[in-house]
Amino acid sequence: MAEITSREESKGYQDYEGNKKWLNAHYDPLASLYTFSQCIALSDINADGENKLIIADLGTGTYDMKLKVYRGTSLMSENAIIDLPTGVVTFYMDLTEPRTPAIAVASGSFIYIYKNLRPYFKFTLPSLPIDEKEESAWIQAKDDLIDVSVLREILDGLRSKGVILTVRSMKFLRLPPHELSTFVTLHKNSPLKMQTVVTCLETLKKSHSEDDAISCLVLGTEHLAIYILDPEAFTILTKIDIPAVPVFLSVNGLYDVDYRIVVACRNGAVYSLKRGSEVKKPVFQLSAQPVGLQRIGKNIVVACMDQTLQCYSTKGNKLWLIRMPADILTMEAMEDKQKGFKGVLVGIENHEVHVYRDKYLVNVIKTEDAVTGIKFGKFGREDSTLVMTTKGGSLLIKMLKRTAKFEEKDATTSSGPPASQQQKLNVPKKTKLFVDQTLRERNNCVVMHQQFQHDLYRIRLEAARNYAESLNKSLNPISTNPQEPLKLSVHVNGIGPMFKLIVQLQNTSLNSPSVGLFLTFHFDSSLYSVEKTLIPVPFLVPGLNYTFESYVECKSDKGISDTIKAYLCRRSSSTPIITGIINMPVSESIIVS
Amino acid sequence: MGIFSKLAEWLGVKRKECNIVVVGLDNSGKTTILNKLKPDDSQTSDIVPTIGFNVENFSSKSLQFNAFDMSGQGRYRNLWEHYYKDCQGVIFVIDSADKLRMPVAKDELDQLIQHPDLVSKRVPVLFFANKMDHRDALSSVKCSTLLKLDEISNKPWHICASNAITGEGLDEGVNWLSDQIKSYLRDLERRRR
Repeated sequence: MAEITSREESKGYQDYEGNKKWLNAHYDPLASLYTFSQCIALSDINADGENKLIIADLGTGTYDMKLKVYRGTSLMSENAIIDLPTGVVTFYMDLTEPRTPAIAVASGSFIYIYKNLRPYFKFTLPSLPIDEKEESAWIQAKDDLIDVSVLREILDGLRSKGVILTVRSMKFLRLPPHELSTFVTLHKNSPLKMQTVVTCLETLKKSHSEDDAISCLVLGTEHLAIYILDPEAFTILTKIDIPAVPVFLSVNGLYDVDYRIVVACRNGAVYSLKRGSEVKKPVFQLSAQPVGLQRIGKNIVVACMDQTLQCYSTKGNKLWLIRMPADILTMEAMEDKQKGFKGVLVGIENHEVHVYRDKYLVNVIKTEDAVTGIKFGKFGREDSTLVMTTKGGSLLIKMLKRTAKFEEKDATTSSGPPASQQQKLNVPKKTKLFVDQTLRERNNCVVMHQQFQHDLYRIRLEAARNYAESLNKSLNPISTNPQEPLKLSVHVNGIGPMFKLIVQLQNTSLNSPSVGLFLTFHFDSSLYSVEKTLIPVPFLVPGLNYTFESYVECKSDKGISDTIKAYLCRRSSSTPIITGIINMPVSESIIVS
Repeated sequence: MGIFSKLAEWLGVKRKECNIVVVGLDNSGKTTILNKLKPDDSQTSDIVPTIGFNVENFSSKSLQFNAFDMSGQGRYRNLWEHYYKDCQGVIFVIDSADKLRMPVAKDELDQLIQHPDLVSKRVPVLFFANKMDHRDALSSVKCSTLLKLDEISNKPWHICASNAITGEGLDEGVNWLSDQIKSYLRDLERRRR
């Protein structure tokens, strides 16, 4: 009954454009499933042609963790899990008929293997070496040589030095002072162990690439390592050390032939591991922490915590980046072989699931709640089924309509380069001259560069010489002498033969006035005659502009011009303080007559 | 049609022929139903998933059926519509134990009803709510509410629960279908005149 009412409730969302491509197969708002994409799997675990939904439920996070299996809309089985699950995969571990895949659940430092929904095997990660000082501290505490406060001090010191402590020591440091001694008496007699935790779990086909071929387990741990496990004996086939904590894995290839594992780490670095190669540096570094990693064809698509979906090539070149309207919660690959569709599904905080083909948004699904877990694949007998779990614990199952098409038309209207960018420009062909020139430049590059450098030095030298000379002769219009902070500028008005020289003087100092100055002009007396050759300059108040004028007559009618120099001099010295050089224009009277 | 065959038909010696299409999702039991409807001596014991389609012949007390047994797999479902044009009846088989895919069955049914070749015809549609023996099978009433059969207004339809392995419920359905097809054919002939 609950199902029927809930279907009616969701009617409002049915009308939404993007949802029309999907059929609502099942909606259970009271499923109370708290999980994420890595803990969902779809597989034919009974070998009866119907895929089951396998979900590791996180429960409340401290208890009630369960492995749930759904057959169609009903819950088929439940198994309790002791610790928080971090990943669920199904894989074929042998060739016995009927071909039933096993379920692997990563939880704490163990991998639990279930076959036919019964516990089958427990793999424990190898324990790691313990820091000597930490171990000796605990031994001393056991023999009552040191008391709890000293132990606490030692461990705290080790932690601040960056030593990776055991879980017991970390729990001990977290306790309030009055509980320390009871903790030590309780635990001191058991041997100290360094256990790591599985962070992510994937599968890798061993020697054949068929869908039902035997697969190895690939797992990442909190202590910076990737392990590849043998599916029959559960021995470690390969251990790869990486520089950061792996959180997402994407595995391709065959273990016995060649494989590539793309690892996204908690610090945002993405590494690419190949068979038999050492890990040196990241392929690329993300701008924020990753929330999902998928390989689509040859590209790596990563969802980040800064609301972006980014795509990189395997060599680490960034191909595109899209901003999302809200925080990304999860990401999953979507592949429909029948339609030949490959894309990614992105669950977003604002109650939407976006479907992207390459960088183009092709579909938006609206849901009642924020989606935290997504899986796309065959469920029951339907090939293209979308299974989603939400923040509130509900379970949604949608099926892609047979007639649904994801059109690229959204792509042209939304982001992406404008159509005009695709047009070919009419670039003319390279001429023979261009080719010859290029060839010449290529052949004589060293000589040309040397010549260029030589000329450049000459220019710099010339410039430096002239600058030094002008400083010596005070040829510049702004005074370089800090004692005489003065600025001079000269304009010429008129079209000739009579010109008017306008000289502007300014004292640029803050509060020291200038006195006893005069202006004089230097010119070719055969060409010009200046009305006032000497202008006494009055007391110059700092900051004000003083204007002086003088008429100049051009005596020549040959259409030639010369420079006139204006000097500002002090009565006592013969070298001018500043100089203004005036390039006189050609007298216009010649043109008129 | 020669005069002898007409005479034979009138006398009831030779039965009238008609084409029907048998559709439904994969694994719903279409081939098994048709196999059960055939005479005992031509039945096979092993049923495999149909690829493309098969043509089966069987007869009821008054009609000779040419049944197009269509494959229900997703990739072959686009073949269905090519046989709608000259069919006089439709059998739609529902897997009543597959509650999850009821919306998919409804989607396919909607496409069938609204197909241009069928939308204006009064072609009778027979529903088999198959696998009634299954432990968590839905009743035929529940199936008809989930598929919203009451919204089909322009076609006669009938649903009956069936078990294709034992043959339970099949005769009831086929009898209904042959009555409907006969009246449908009579209707067509009257209109032609």
